[in-house]
Amino acid sequence: MRRPFTLLAALLMFVVCAAALAIPGHSEAAEAGSETKNLIYDKANLLTQQEWDELNALANRYGAKRETDIIILTSTNAENQDVQLKTENFYDDQAPGYDKPHGNAVILTMDMRNREVYLAGFGKAETALDDSRLDKIRSKMTPDLTRAEYAKAFERYITLSYTYMGYKPGVNPDNILFALWFQLGAALIIGGIIVTVMVYRSGGRVTVSGATYENRGTSGVLEHADQYIRTTVTKTKIPKNNGSGSRGGGGGTTGGGSSHSGSRGSF
Amino acid sequence: MEAVIEYKCPNCGSGMVFDAAAGTLSCPGCGRQDNIEQMMDPLKSQTFTEQDVKEYHCTSCGAVIVTEPETSATSCSFCGSAVVLSDRLSGQFAPVMVIPFTIAKEAAMKAFKKWCRNGLLTPRGFMSADRVTGITGIYVPFWLYDLHNDIEVQAQGTKVRIYTQGDYRITETQHYSIYRKIQVDYVRLPLDASEKMNDALMDKLEPFPYDQLKAFKTPYLAGYLAEKYSYDDEQLFPRAKEKTSAYVDAFISSTVSGYTNVSYIDKQVDTTMKRADYVLLPVWMVRYNFNRAEYTFAMNGQTGKVVGKPPISKAKVAAWFAGISAVSFVALKIVSWTMGGGFL
Repeated sequence: MRRPFTLLAALLMFVVCAAALAIPGHSEAAEAGSETKNLIYDKANLLTQQEWDELNALANRYGAKRETDIIILTSTNAENQDVQLKTENFYDDQAPGYDKPHGNAVILTMDMRNREVYLAGFGKAETALDDSRLDKIRSKMTPDLTRAEYAKAFERYITLSYTYMGYKPGVNPDNILFALWFQLGAALIIGGIIVTVMVYRSGGRVTVSGATYENRGTSGVLEHADQYIRTTVTKTKIPKNNGSGSRGGGGGTTGGGSSHSGSRGSF
Repeated sequence: MEAVIEYKCPNCGSGMVFDAAAGTLSCPGCGRQDNIEQMMDPLKSQTFTEQDVKEYHCTSCGAVIVTEPETSATSCSFCGSAVVLSDRLSGQFAPVMVIPFTIAKEAAMKAFKKWCRNGLLTPRGFMSADRVTGITGIYVPFWLYDLHNDIEVQAQGTKVRIYTQGDYRITETQHYSIYRKIQVDYVRLPLDASEKMNDALMDKLEPFPYDQLKAFKTPYLAGYLAEKYSYDDEQLFPRAKEKTSAYVDAFISSTVSGYTNVSYIDKQVDTTMKRADYVLLPVWMVRYNFNRAEYTFAMNGQTGKVVGKPPISKAKVAAWFAGISAVSFVALKIVSWTMGGGFL
């Protein structure tokens, strides 16, 4: 009876340990206090009512945790306005922000007329979601946009914005060290290797080497030659990592004087 | 000519045995202790005819001494007297040197129990070491080889430098032709010459302290088991070469440094045996019954090093695995956190 119990206890300890660290705590209390904001301006009617409800709730929940409004703006763009300008004007006019008007916000603008998309980070999001992070988010959602699966793409945008804002500015959020599956996998591999070595060594190990029996006085190199023959050189072009449909872009400053980060592309 | 040697105490007539703790031939009856190094070895004054002795009789009680053909020292199964079968220790079977036991039976038992308690993966019931079915001190025959290696090596080496220039990554590889002529001598490389002993087990018992080597005298064997070799120095030479080949390879690669990659084209290793000494080395063999299975352990009779595969507890392995994995996971989390990732 004792054995399976110890085994179970050990495994349980590991699972609890992993789970406690892996699953982010849902602090329901923080959400309950704040009212639900309207964060999705679906002027191009890309979403069904149900999709809108779900995404708006998601944006409210995740936005609250990062103290940032996660906003989506879709437009048929009848006036044919540039998508970046449209985003900046929206920020100046609507004055969104979690903490204050013209505060922390990340805005996704869809221009359905020119099939262009623009992402902008204001306030705290300007550094926490800088150009390169916004580029990453955009390149990950673009395939869904191209397939016209807008709800899926928007969900991606909301969750990625939330996730990436959890990392310190400047670090690569896609670093494999940050991935949970990698941390779990590496921990299990380390455990496996060490235990294997322990089992292997339990029967005693060889503690002598050639040096134990070598006669240093008479051992050594008698003759040696290291002759240079030739040099071969290979040249490979370093691939440029430009995302699909990217047209450069980056951040800027709105007419109202708010600076922001940005990423622009078509789909 | 008598082929059985016994050590009778000149004072009281009891059978004397080798005392590992004191390093002397001592009498359990009256406590007399004789310095072995200053004793005349009765073996030296004996000569034997070619024909094998068929039967040995105990000089104390006259009973037939039942032995295996390799045994050269044992005790009489009737009266318990320590006997040395001298024809199996003379002529070609005469050992040159011996390392006497310094760990006596009680000390060996104690050391073995301590080793069992320290087993990290062994089952709880095993750790108490209360099922030892036998502990035997054996002088195991070994050959100590002095080997001379003449080595010639041809190899190709590359030095790689990678750098970027504009939009290009440039890999520059310099090729070298490498030649080495090396001489390596190995002295007193031990190889067990007993057929019964597990080679891997005996290899793990090393190192034996060679400063404890003494000129061979039969009294060192009194009270212990001893065996004569099953393989002579010529027969074991291939195994000696095999054992040194890893050493030789390590030596060669230590002489070829500074290269990114080395591939060997030709390796000529010429090994010659300069000398081989027949010695007896002290080993405690411990037999242990656990869960209806028998485990055999060996202990170096000089250093106390214990080797042998103990039973492994699956529960303990799982516990260590889970524990180490959990700690590594937390450590990785902390690393990613200090690098700027979220902790959760």
